[in-house]
Amino acid sequence: MSAATVIAARYPRITRTVRGWVGEGVRIGEQTQFYGQTIAAIGDALFRYKTETLRLIAQMGLGTGALALIGGSTAVVGFLTMMTGALVAVQGYNLLASTSTEALTGFASAFFNVRLISPLTAAIALAATIGAGATAQLGAMRINEEIDALEVMGIRSIAYLASTRVIAGVIVVIPLYCVAMLMSFTAARFGTTFIYDQSTGVYDHYFNTFLIPTDLIWSFFQAFAMAVVIMLVHTYYGYTATGGPAGVGEAVGRAVRTSLVVSALVILFVSLAIYGRGGNFNMSG
Amino acid sequence: MTFSAGVAKPLRAFGEFFTVTGQTLALMPRRPFAWREYLSQSWFVARVSLLPTLLLAIPFTVLAVFTFNLLLVEFGAADYSGAGAADGTVTQIGPIVTVLVVSGAGATAMCADLGARTIREELDALRVMGINPIQSLVVPRVLAATTVAVLLSSLVILVGIVGGFFFSVYFQNVSPGSFVNSMTIITGIGKVVVAWIKAALFGMAAGLIACYKGISVGGGPAGVGNAVNETVVYTFVTLFAINIIASAVSVSAIGAGV
Repeated sequence: MSAATVIAARYPRITRTVRGWVGEGVRIGEQTQFYGQTIAAIGDALFRYKTETLRLIAQMGLGTGALALIGGSTAVVGFLTMMTGALVAVQGYNLLASTSTEALTGFASAFFNVRLISPLTAAIALAATIGAGATAQLGAMRINEEIDALEVMGIRSIAYLASTRVIAGVIVVIPLYCVAMLMSFTAARFGTTFIYDQSTGVYDHYFNTFLIPTDLIWSFFQAFAMAVVIMLVHTYYGYTATGGPAGVGEAVGRAVRTSLVVSALVILFVSLAIYGRGGNFNMSG
Repeated sequence: MTFSAGVAKPLRAFGEFFTVTGQTLALMPRRPFAWREYLSQSWFVARVSLLPTLLLAIPFTVLAVFTFNLLLVEFGAADYSGAGAADGTVTQIGPIVTVLVVSGAGATAMCADLGARTIREELDALRVMGINPIQSLVVPRVLAATTVAVLLSSLVILVGIVGGFFFSVYFQNVSPGSFVNSMTIITGIGKVVVAWIKAALFGMAAGLIACYKGISVGGGPAGVGNAVNETVVYTFVTLFAINIIASAVSVSAIGAGV
């Protein structure tokens, strides 16, 4: 009987707690290792698995199964950002109207949509559509032992399954984010000018004055960063799914939870890094 | 033929969803109420949602407060940052973070659990034994999601305001006294009640969608995965739609500002 077994038998509680911590540490290490391998294999995926990458790009843009019926990820992203853009009109217009400054709703749309609302909403929509879809696919492959079969055939499964999805996610996010920005601007403008009867000239004047083009570019950079993070998290949970049919469902749930938290943090830190304390913002124009 | 089949499928799913909703609502007051299932489900949803709630509420409010304070500092009105933080948290961030957590954490877990039972034919077994799975499984789950959503929204508001306070005071140099004083300028009990009503609606809708998707799963592991994926997408879409309608109604009912 080794010393470790004796200690484990003498202090069962402490041993269990320590084992729990060690298990957590191992899990974080494995995740980091997976992310490292996925990113390192991106070059491989681009050169060797071009067709698979193209197929995934097409699939992510349009969606599969029941999602394709309602228009795929494009429609979902567009719809969610339309709803939050309309919020700017409903909440912003009425709040500003209570201090008789409702003329500034265009400014609110240009400022809050670009910096705050669209990145967060797009992150949510991406995690729900493209991300959760990837987890469901990879999880089902893992449970059906298809991933093991790939390995046996000598195909690098991480490059073929995870890296290709990261590339596809990053490419798809650019047109999706264009849709997101356009929908949020259009919805805010429509709500303010059509429903609350503000003149379009007033709205457009303040909107155009305060829309900072570099902010838009940074906003796209945020979208890019969160696409990478979301795809990495979701492929990891799908790739390591265990426990039969229920396990796939649980993996999707866990992946959505993790990626929402992680992408919110990424957006927060990227915004703090970009805008800093000064805020890169001058009321005088 | 293919066209009509393509149109009929989503329509049928829509109809089935409303059937399940109607049955659930009709069976809610019917005895015996599954207390044990209700309590264990509430505990389950609360357990999976608590940590994501805290972790999501903080970055969301900090980001909103940061952006809003930039504006207020530019106007020379940094003293009012508490008003912005309170209003943003109570009217929008509270309900939206609750939505994300309830559908991203609670509804997915619920759908995965029910989906696995459907795949293992446990629901059919229940029906054979003369137990209505809607009454014994769906009703307590929907009610549990509603209860937990209301509780969570209060937690999100609390955590959000505290997070906004620390960020404003220690990073953006707003004076703590004026932050606390200005909190109640445009946010009153009316808005808090509206936030609770929204949260209850979200919880109920998310629970119904998750349970419908869970009990109509078919096709093995890929089927469960897809059902959970669809649950997330449909709940997000529905809840954002409910949020905008509820916001518009509350704005015209109790007003948006001072």
